[in-house]
Amino acid sequence: MVALPMPNDNDNGNENEPTQMIGRPDGRGLDRSRVPTSLALAGWLALATAPFLTGASPGAGAGTGASDEVGRAGGRTGEQIYRQMCASCHGAAGEGTDDHYPRPLIGERPVASLAKLIARTMPEDDPGTCVGPDAQKVAAYIHGAFYSKAAQAKNPMRPARIELSRLTVRQYRNALSDLLARPQNAPRWDNRRGLNGQYARAGRRRRGGGDNADGFTRLDPEIRFHFGENSPIPAQNAVKEQSRHYVPLPALPVPANLFRSYSQEFRINWQGSLLAPDTGEYEFVVRTENAMRLWVNDNDKPLIDVSVKSGNDTEYRETIYLLGGRVYPIRLEVSKSKETTASIELLWKVPRRGLGLIPARNLSPSDAPEVYVVRTPFPPDDRSVGYERGTSISKAWDQATTDAAIEAADFIDGHLKDVAGITDGANDQDRQRRLREFCSQFAERAFRRPLSDEQRKLYIDRQLKDARDPRTAVKKVVLLVLKSPRFLYREIGTGVPDSYDVASRLSFGLWDSIPDRALADATASGRLAHHEQIADQARRMAGDLRARAKLREFLLQWLRVDQGAEIAKDPKVFPGFDEAVITDLRTSLELFLDDVISSPSADFRELLGARSLYLNGRLARFYGVDLPPDAPFRKVDRAPGNRSGILTHPYLMAGFAYTSSSSPIHRGVFLSRSVLGRPLRPPPVAVAPIAADLHPDLTTRQRVELQTKPETCQSCHRMINHLGFALEHYDAIGRYRDTEKNRPIDATGSYETRSGERVRFDGAAQLASFLAQSQETHNAFVQQVFHYLVKQPIRAFGRTELTDLRGAFADRGYNIRELMVEIMTSSALASRAGD
Amino acid sequence: MPRIISNSSTSRREFLRDLGIGAAALPFVLNLPSLGFANQGARKKRLVIMFSPNGVIPSAFWPDEEGTKFTLKESLKPLEPFKNRTLILHGVCDKLRGDGDNHMRGMGCLLTGIELFPGNIQGGSDTPAGWARGLSIDQEIRNKLQRTASTRTRFGSLEFGVMVPDRADTWSRMVYAGPNKPLAPIDDPYQMFNKLYGRMKDQESLKSILDELKEDLGKVRSVVSAEDRQLLDEHATFVREMEQELKDQASRDNSHPVPEIEPGVRHANDQMPKLSKMQIDLMVGAFAADFARVATLQYTNSVGQARMKWVGVNESHHELSHHPDSNKKSQESLTKINRWYCEQLAYLARRLADTPEPGGGGSLLDNTTIVWTNELGKGNSHTLDDIPFVLVGNGLDFKMGRSLKFRKVPHNRLLLALANGMGHHIEKFGNPNLCGDGVLSLS
Repeated sequence: MVALPMPNDNDNGNENEPTQMIGRPDGRGLDRSRVPTSLALAGWLALATAPFLTGASPGAGAGTGASDEVGRAGGRTGEQIYRQMCASCHGAAGEGTDDHYPRPLIGERPVASLAKLIARTMPEDDPGTCVGPDAQKVAAYIHGAFYSKAAQAKNPMRPARIELSRLTVRQYRNALSDLLARPQNAPRWDNRRGLNGQYARAGRRRRGGGDNADGFTRLDPEIRFHFGENSPIPAQNAVKEQSRHYVPLPALPVPANLFRSYSQEFRINWQGSLLAPDTGEYEFVVRTENAMRLWVNDNDKPLIDVSVKSGNDTEYRETIYLLGGRVYPIRLEVSKSKETTASIELLWKVPRRGLGLIPARNLSPSDAPEVYVVRTPFPPDDRSVGYERGTSISKAWDQATTDAAIEAADFIDGHLKDVAGITDGANDQDRQRRLREFCSQFAERAFRRPLSDEQRKLYIDRQLKDARDPRTAVKKVVLLVLKSPRFLYREIGTGVPDSYDVASRLSFGLWDSIPDRALADATASGRLAHHEQIADQARRMAGDLRARAKLREFLLQWLRVDQGAEIAKDPKVFPGFDEAVITDLRTSLELFLDDVISSPSADFRELLGARSLYLNGRLARFYGVDLPPDAPFRKVDRAPGNRSGILTHPYLMAGFAYTSSSSPIHRGVFLSRSVLGRPLRPPPVAVAPIAADLHPDLTTRQRVELQTKPETCQSCHRMINHLGFALEHYDAIGRYRDTEKNRPIDATGSYETRSGERVRFDGAAQLASFLAQSQETHNAFVQQVFHYLVKQPIRAFGRTELTDLRGAFADRGYNIRELMVEIMTSSALASRAGD
Repeated sequence: MPRIISNSSTSRREFLRDLGIGAAALPFVLNLPSLGFANQGARKKRLVIMFSPNGVIPSAFWPDEEGTKFTLKESLKPLEPFKNRTLILHGVCDKLRGDGDNHMRGMGCLLTGIELFPGNIQGGSDTPAGWARGLSIDQEIRNKLQRTASTRTRFGSLEFGVMVPDRADTWSRMVYAGPNKPLAPIDDPYQMFNKLYGRMKDQESLKSILDELKEDLGKVRSVVSAEDRQLLDEHATFVREMEQELKDQASRDNSHPVPEIEPGVRHANDQMPKLSKMQIDLMVGAFAADFARVATLQYTNSVGQARMKWVGVNESHHELSHHPDSNKKSQESLTKINRWYCEQLAYLARRLADTPEPGGGGSLLDNTTIVWTNELGKGNSHTLDDIPFVLVGNGLDFKMGRSLKFRKVPHNRLLLALANGMGHHIEKFGNPNLCGDGVLSLS
């Protein structure tokens, strides 16, 4: 059974409902086998009961005993009608009731639309008893009293405020990595791509390879080599060739072919760094018939150690947890001894992605320092409002913070020299001084502000005094600091933030981590006071890899593919559309996103309207471009199929589709929720989509129209369907088509704006140009970026925050990076008390 | 007695120190019946396999006699106090052939009883090889014990080492968790200590910061808004719960002693005697706490190069082992070396014999069998015949106090005897063709 979402006029700033959108409210109505291509959200078709007003029997509510006498004669005011017929479920002031309708009755419909809806659906158990002028009156009352934005602004139901929040898991992990980093060296990520390969004859291993006469060093973009029986070092092949010209002596103890193979022994050492795009478990895979070792983020202990080649295995796998937006040291060494042939491939599986060669764009020949990545598992954060936030805690979370603190303390204990500059050799007094200095700095960086005298006594002095030996003392300080609420919670206190709070808002907003040295220095020296100074820091920080990664993660979530799309297509209908193709499509999407957000204009409208498509040889044959089968990815400008940015990207089109047919409803829901910011909630009743073979003569569009024909469905599907229909030119794998079942595609659609105007469009390009200039789209995007960065409701930052930011977004040419800077700058100084 | 142990382990140790009772005496004081865990019912049988490299000097090692009346030769003299609990097996041979030189096969097939994979490790002769094709007998037994609640322990097995070189190859690994899965012994006693007792130390540290944590949580609570206070109240509850759990845990941990090991001993050739003693003390402590019932103790590696200056030998072990029988001085040096290893065996036996079996009668040695072995029979010939197998202790219910001489029995049959002695009734292990007449009878 697949349920359909309903428009939910409950727009209290939480535009995204819990991801649990499927079937019954408890989520058990979902039968996954019927949801072939669930992208974050499942299939949608509504069998709707009321979209928002659930029933109250007349006179049963909070109304007065007199209400019956008032009867249905036209004399009642809207307020009286509301009290009589609605309040028992919706609460006296629309705040909702636990038993019947727990959500506040707020939203964006104009009065007329609200009246129509009430007339059609309310009260839930007896629709049709509140119609005509009654419906008009009650709608007007509701609208003016609490429902509309204006009413809320006058009299907010739940005053939004900046809530005390703990670090999210992502923030915790990143903060710990930065706390435990060696302060002196930051990674470089310049324009050189690939790894530095040092090729040498075996036994002549030299780092740098400079003085090896036969060997050489070169930059290899990717690691995929099949050397066969030859050596990559030409001098060795020359020796082998020469040995063929000599007749082997019968008494020669070493057979000539053995000699030849000895002469072919070589070793290659690739070194550099690796950029992890996402956070999660990475699987590294090395394929070789030779001996090899792979180091990732640990320069001492190999992640995979096959220095002893044993047996016939040729593929080795190991996983490691990495944080996105960070650069890690990587090194791969392969050595051929007496094996006949040599080859090597270095692949990886990015979290929720298929296996693929590590591409050059994620590799750099520059060195990078190791990054401490905490291994303790944490329970996942609450994402029910559409973004991860830390407004609740649990026993499991508390236990995880303890385990992680112990893990970090052990790490520091074992790396005192690296992390704290403390050596065994130093004399006692010097050692003591350094220890105290390290402990103070550690606490201040963790707390993101200087220690008060009282805190210094508690966190430093008492620990150092009581401990038996210096190492135990450091461990105690680290444990105490990492268990402290001053580390674990974002902002402690009330009222106006000071400049340390401002710095933290910037760094957690843009990096999900603690301030770096430059920001901390600016804060300490009073250079983070004015709006301009804050904006300068925000702009500097927005250029960092971590900010880029966070923006990227946001976009993937905005597109509902952050958890990866489960795409599987009918092989009879789409032969060859396999996992490799799906992985390539994902890459194509990510290349496009990276291209837009790193271009100078970083124009949001380009996301919706770009006519290019990234394709490689494998994808080209599906999407009508002529490329050699093994061609690497390239940007194809004016790609065939009337492309329109993310609206028609094949990865999304394939994701918002069934195994063999498109799904205008999936697509419409995506456009409604993500792009236009229209809140939808699941209906209480689940419906299975009509199977295509029940109506073999109908087009997809006709089938969807048939199924959502009932008036109850139409309250939502009038919006959903008519957005989704505009993308009907794209089939279940996102190929362009002009016909379906020998009938021309009808890609006309429409959308009723929040102000009640109906916009019409035909096809993706027209839809894109409407969306790109629509304030609704801009509002939705700004609000979602805000929530992703700040992790607090935007309303807590002032009544005009959203409007102001939208204006700034427009003024800056819809530059997404500038939007991040604006959001951070404008929110950094907001008072915690609310407006 | 139990009453004094109800405090934290720190104060307990301080208390005992104040009484002038040293670490060695701790086990006596603390010989408490353990808490009623599932594995504390039946008799706890244990197996230790101790390895030293490069073969022996046969004439100074093997008793001339067979049976219960025999004389311990120079290399085995340290076992005199345990002679009636000793079983010496002559004539047991490592019959595995195939890839790898004799040092490699001697090591890799010693406990696995199966051939090596072909590979890229080239020895001094023969073809190159990789890792063993199967798991080792200690891991086979460990897995069996861990499968059953009544014999399951925290670690199952512990792999100790002394001065094992920091490289993984066929010469430095004898324990295998499976084909191509060698296990590295832990030769740093401090690392082993952390593995065994790190959790307890962490808990002590945690306990020591709780007061400060609660204090500051209270301060933080007072400066946030009333709405936010609820979250911090919840947090404070978790902290109190953790405190209670730490107390409960501490009272459980106090039921067994923590060995005290000398601090600051470096990983260096000359520290080998100290490292050996520390590892043995840790092993005995781990047995007393029932952390594991199987242990291995690997001295150096096959081809090991220890220089035992402390017994007057300055040359490195493996080089000496190549010298011909006619070189009397080398023969004497090698005998001294093996005698030193035998002293370690005797120290282990002594510690086990002096430690009462917790919750049961007798000593740990009554329930533990130590097997001392080697990858070669004789260093200068590199033979895999007459591999030294000297057993001490009564864990496996073999008939001890004997010198036995077999006629070239494949050592797989002895591995089977160890498994069966530990209650794991298997008929084949390693290469099945070498298990011909089944379990070697030693009872």
